[in-house]
Amino acid sequence: MLPSLREDYLEAIQQFSEKNAHPPRYEELAAVLGKPESGVRSDMEDLVSSGDVSMLPGGVITLTGQGKQTGESVIKKHETLQCFLSEILGMDSSSASEEACTLEHAVSDETIDRLGQLIVKQDGLRHRGWGRHGRQMSTTQCTEEDFDCQCPSISDCAEGENVIIHCIHGRACAKRLLDLGMVPGERASIKRKLPNGALVVQVKGCDVALSPEIASAIGVERSS
Amino acid sequence: MKIALLGNPGVGKSLIFNQLTGLGIEVNRYPGSSVCLECGNVCYKKEKIEIVDLPGIYSLDGSSEEEILVRKFLEQGGADVIVAVLDATKLERNLYLFTQVTEFSPKIIAVVNMIDEAEHQGLIIDVDKLSSYLGVTVLLTAASEGRDIDRILPLALGSARIATLQVPYDHHIEAALKSLEKTLGAPRCKSLLALQGTGEDRMLLDAAGAVAHEIEVRHRMSVRQIIATNRHNLSRKIAASAVRQGDRKKTYDLDSLLTRVFPGVPILIAILFFLLLSVFVIGSWMQELIVQTFTTYIILPFTALDLPPLLERIGFSVLIALEAGLGIAFPFIFTFYLGLSLLEDTGYMTRAAFLADRAMHRLGLHGEAIIPMVIGFGCTVPAVMSLRILKTRREQTIAAFLISMIPCSARMVVIAGVVAAFVGILWAFSIYFIVFILIILTAVVLSRITPGEQFGMIVEMSALRRPQARLVLAKSWLRIKEFLFIAMPILIITSIGLGLFQYFGVTDAFQQLVAPITVTLLGLPEYASTALLFGIFRKELAFETLAVLSGTADLGSVMTSAQLYIFAIVSVLFIPCISTIAVLYRQLGARIAILISVYTVFLGITVGAIINMLIK
Repeated sequence: MLPSLREDYLEAIQQFSEKNAHPPRYEELAAVLGKPESGVRSDMEDLVSSGDVSMLPGGVITLTGQGKQTGESVIKKHETLQCFLSEILGMDSSSASEEACTLEHAVSDETIDRLGQLIVKQDGLRHRGWGRHGRQMSTTQCTEEDFDCQCPSISDCAEGENVIIHCIHGRACAKRLLDLGMVPGERASIKRKLPNGALVVQVKGCDVALSPEIASAIGVERSS
Repeated sequence: MKIALLGNPGVGKSLIFNQLTGLGIEVNRYPGSSVCLECGNVCYKKEKIEIVDLPGIYSLDGSSEEEILVRKFLEQGGADVIVAVLDATKLERNLYLFTQVTEFSPKIIAVVNMIDEAEHQGLIIDVDKLSSYLGVTVLLTAASEGRDIDRILPLALGSARIATLQVPYDHHIEAALKSLEKTLGAPRCKSLLALQGTGEDRMLLDAAGAVAHEIEVRHRMSVRQIIATNRHNLSRKIAASAVRQGDRKKTYDLDSLLTRVFPGVPILIAILFFLLLSVFVIGSWMQELIVQTFTTYIILPFTALDLPPLLERIGFSVLIALEAGLGIAFPFIFTFYLGLSLLEDTGYMTRAAFLADRAMHRLGLHGEAIIPMVIGFGCTVPAVMSLRILKTRREQTIAAFLISMIPCSARMVVIAGVVAAFVGILWAFSIYFIVFILIILTAVVLSRITPGEQFGMIVEMSALRRPQARLVLAKSWLRIKEFLFIAMPILIITSIGLGLFQYFGVTDAFQQLVAPITVTLLGLPEYASTALLFGIFRKELAFETLAVLSGTADLGSVMTSAQLYIFAIVSVLFIPCISTIAVLYRQLGARIAILISVYTVFLGITVGAIINMLIK
């Protein structure tokens, strides 16, 4: 069996088990991979003999320790590559995923680690001063919500403007803002803006003072 | 019977609490936290009722010390009845917390406070509608006028019940809650917390984490956001149908003055300056009075007793410590606290934080840090205690360094007594100047090297209102009590220790040991080291010891101006006092306490040596 095919199988089994909280059966695995069931059956026999997989009664496929390790490592590689391709290089996410499927078999662990660090660093730069977010973000959590929002931030608005809150970037500050009523869709008005960018925003009848860097994390739409 | 008051910050909980309990309040430190719980007892219909004032919070899901404390309190069923206090003028936002509280299903009543303010704004609240929505008894009160406060207890005892209100969450969340309940038997409130990543049950957290991830991917929104939005939507619906906007009376908006750069910033500086000035003037007047009385009526009679020397030494040390505590704690710190409580209760402090945000950023902090810094001018001990309002450890660490360097009122005494009196008032100001420059330099360096993330300011501006004398006094009294309980024992023990050292001649040996530093490096007389050592115990003692050891109160006749100046600046910068070190240790741990002590000793000696060299 080709090494890349073996890795694809292990990745798929691991992914399936994570997602569905139970290991797949032949037909389920075949459906996921879009392959004939008979082919999967014979391939599984090879994997059993290479010690990656063990079969349970009823056609349930479980990973051995070795198989699980490989599967997880491939998933990590896939996610890191996909994140790199889509977020840093700006490819669209479906072709990034396809490309990642090919690359994941050839890339070394060290490359993946360095890519992961690069992504975290880039993310940190993007959110200057928002260290917590940068650190928390493992490569598996390349969440779209933080990147695809192109709306202006509340700090771009002028004193007296009315806005509708659209999104909040960065997780460090998000909780308190949510508690104060700054949820997507909520109306807010800017009561005061100091020359340095600090804001007093009125939301739900309460005045809330925000530092400039917090304000820049709140994406809004202007409303009349 | 135990009743707990719960609500957002600034809804008038404390005022209600004070009116219910009178001034007989105890402060209990909740186990394992530095947050204070105020408790008071009342007698109602021959039954003893304990009332607890929980700290003001915005949410029960968060990770701040206050939020965790209140959450634990509710989880453990800490009170028989919860009195949820809501602000009538901000009902919608306040209901958000209420929806969370009901999830813990305590017996509860809702008190909608500040109804006078709401009437002023033309808001009309329909009690029956609100009560039927919430499924609990609703009472309208105006604590500032004392209106209907007396009805709280009878209602809390008679008609508190578990609220029927339940937030309808997004169907994915509801499904997740159901499956978590079925598979793990987790109650709704626990599962909700677990979905947001909070809790202690590993199994539940893992299961909830997996579901939460799926929901997040599907909604492209964090579970927290979804849950918060659902709660806010329900609150909005309730508020919209229970509150009607009538005619609004036009009022002048003071914020148009206070929150602008001009005249806001000049006003801020003027207020802070006036606060410090009045503390200094009133404080020194009271200090003189207290110290004099104490000396005449207690210390002199004691020395006249003619006890055996060792006993006399110990007794004398205790008395000196008491005198120091009362002479400093009362005059300076109490006056300062009065002013501070006044600023807080008028709602000005949040404006100050807003205006100071940028300046504080340069120091690696943010707007809210102005509060501990200002307190630091009064006394370093409560300033360190107030550090917990800063959210990250990084900011707490930086602020702790700066606060330890800010000249507190005791150091003010040294500067005034040594430099202003014998060298000149302008030279005294130059010491302030040098210290401020050093503080700024320290901050700039620290903000670069301190690890950790910076958290910006998110502060709700509290409404401007007239402060209540009773509440201001009660607040100041509580704070001074806290100070007395922490600082007093340390003062007395250290005083006895130092007294014994002196008795057995240890201080002389110490003097000999550090003579190279005192005499050669700083150019001071040998006995100055003992005075500096006593300064660790309480700062202004450095000045008094110097006078005792030099044998005259006219310091100008035994030391040169340069020596006095160096002595003052070294003792101002040199090591925070022992009480400060103790609270630093408690608040931030041994490492930071030691670092700050070592840094300030180094800084004091270096600056002193440099000035000595320059003068030569």
